[in-house]
Amino acid sequence: MNRDDPIKYFFLWPAFLVVLAMAIFPLIYSLANSFMSLRLVPPMPARFVGLDNYADLLSNPRFWQTVKTTSIIAFISVAFQFVIGFGVALALVKRVRGADFFRTAFLLPMLVAPVAVALVARQILNPSMGPLNQVATFFGFPNLPYLTEANWAMGSLIAVEIWQWTPFVILLILAGLQGLPDDVYEAAELEGASSWQQFWSITFPMMLPISAAVIFIRIVESFKIIDTVFVMTGGGPGIATETLTLFAYQEGFKKFNLGYTSALSFLFLAVVLILSLVYLALLKPYLEKYK
Amino acid sequence: MSVRDLSGNRRWLAFGALCLWFLFTIFPLYWVAITSFKAPPDVVGGPTYLPFVDFQPTIKAWTDLLSGLRGEFYSNFWSSAIVAVSSAMFATLLGAMAAYALVRFPFKVRLLSGVLFFVVAMGGFLLGRDVLGIAPASASIIAFTGALALSVFANRFPLPGKVLGNDDIVFWFVSQRLFPPIVVAFALFLLYTEMGKLGFKMTDTYLGLTLAYVAFSLPIVVWLMRDFISALPLEVEEAAMVDNVPHWRIFFGIVLPMSRPGLIATFVITLAFTWNEFLFALFLTNSEWQTLPVLIAGQNSQRGDEWWAISAAALVAIVPMIIVAGLLGRLMRSGLLSGAVK
Repeated sequence: MNRDDPIKYFFLWPAFLVVLAMAIFPLIYSLANSFMSLRLVPPMPARFVGLDNYADLLSNPRFWQTVKTTSIIAFISVAFQFVIGFGVALALVKRVRGADFFRTAFLLPMLVAPVAVALVARQILNPSMGPLNQVATFFGFPNLPYLTEANWAMGSLIAVEIWQWTPFVILLILAGLQGLPDDVYEAAELEGASSWQQFWSITFPMMLPISAAVIFIRIVESFKIIDTVFVMTGGGPGIATETLTLFAYQEGFKKFNLGYTSALSFLFLAVVLILSLVYLALLKPYLEKYK
Repeated sequence: MSVRDLSGNRRWLAFGALCLWFLFTIFPLYWVAITSFKAPPDVVGGPTYLPFVDFQPTIKAWTDLLSGLRGEFYSNFWSSAIVAVSSAMFATLLGAMAAYALVRFPFKVRLLSGVLFFVVAMGGFLLGRDVLGIAPASASIIAFTGALALSVFANRFPLPGKVLGNDDIVFWFVSQRLFPPIVVAFALFLLYTEMGKLGFKMTDTYLGLTLAYVAFSLPIVVWLMRDFISALPLEVEEAAMVDNVPHWRIFFGIVLPMSRPGLIATFVITLAFTWNEFLFALFLTNSEWQTLPVLIAGQNSQRGDEWWAISAAALVAIVPMIIVAGLLGRLMRSGLLSGAVK
């Protein structure tokens, strides 16, 4: 069968062209600008400055602060998402009553617009009129600064991230668990392995590849966080909760410093790439061990 | 006993844990729903929890919202709906086509021609704008088409270096998700502004936003649709090919209908992304095509503590996706998505 009809280009090219024009070319355009000193307001002609923008950024403590903030939010929230999501998926995969209903209900947070979630979170976390304050007051902690003190604000953002994205972990882990073969467990049962042993020696190793993928996707996506922060704290108090994307937005849209912002977004890209490579390198021996 | 069964106490323990997580999941949604029916004193005077018990529900916030008292609400809703649905449709169609091509036909791209594209596009743009003094928009269009033509032409020759196959092309698509969208959003904003100076309006237009959404949904669509299409049986297509049915008819007449469940699932997932998207809408629109998430994000600073109004507006963005969640749940129950996450 001849499968080399030129019509194949007709199928591939539309998608290829859209991505090339709308994602790759802007990337190249940005990279070119990142070596320039370029401003829109006040307008300034482009001037080649080489790596100056990058050097400026790397010596700017605010950049490192945002890298730190973003990493803390991403790593802590993904750790919680994974542990909770795995647990919930394990419970769902057993034939518990109402599993079908729970399965659909648990998906909801993932589909709600992050800006809407952030607005609801602001209401719930309001230090004087919110329901959480009423509960905390009952336990003797009135008027906690949920969004106005650095550590509390970070905690609140992380809690919202956990609420919103644990469903993603549940969805994928559940799909993986449903694909596990039954006979291995039957054999383990005959050998008299406890369910704790079964989990650590069968379920967990067999779920390792998909777990690694889920954690990877979540961390990469978490690094992009802006909507929630934008609405909940606006980066405040001060710049305590400012994330990388928000920092780039502030620099680009408020100051119109184009070259600088382009360099910033490329450093951001570099941070994500370095993290991904380290993650994959760390994980490789384990993935191969259980293959 | 297997991974799927539990007995005795553990059964109740698992059930209890699920109920607990359910409460945590549902409470914020419950809260926004009841707040939209509260009168101002029931919000400002401290939290109230049960309609008819500790507060008297009112539909004032909703009538205010729907009567347009709260500004350009309808316009935002419709632009959101039009952009989200149509870009999800285009992305699903184009992605399915690309996935079909990548599953059924061999492709060869030479790494060197890719590098050539990169170098010529960037160099040509800088040369055009900063040396020859062409307007940035024209410079980028010329650089882009020139680089594309040159690299496609170069790909015909046996260049040295690595030859990339279908899996590499899929990886190229998927790797777009790795890039922080701010890089592209900001660059697109600049490019659109420059295009506007040439008299070709892209910012705050249907075309501008939809194109960006299609491009950013395609990686996921290609990835998902590739699994769905490669799971289809080959025999039907082969039979059609023996009868000399042209490929475009095989695709639209056989492949698309057969992969309908996959198409629906992919469309729904894409729709959830395009409906909720915030960053691109923030950069690329400002009034006419501004979408709901941007409007809602602005509510906070505009209305302060008018939570009844904010809640009603937020619910308008939330409810369509809850309907979508019901759909997705049904699809999941039929085991449809389990094949896609391998």
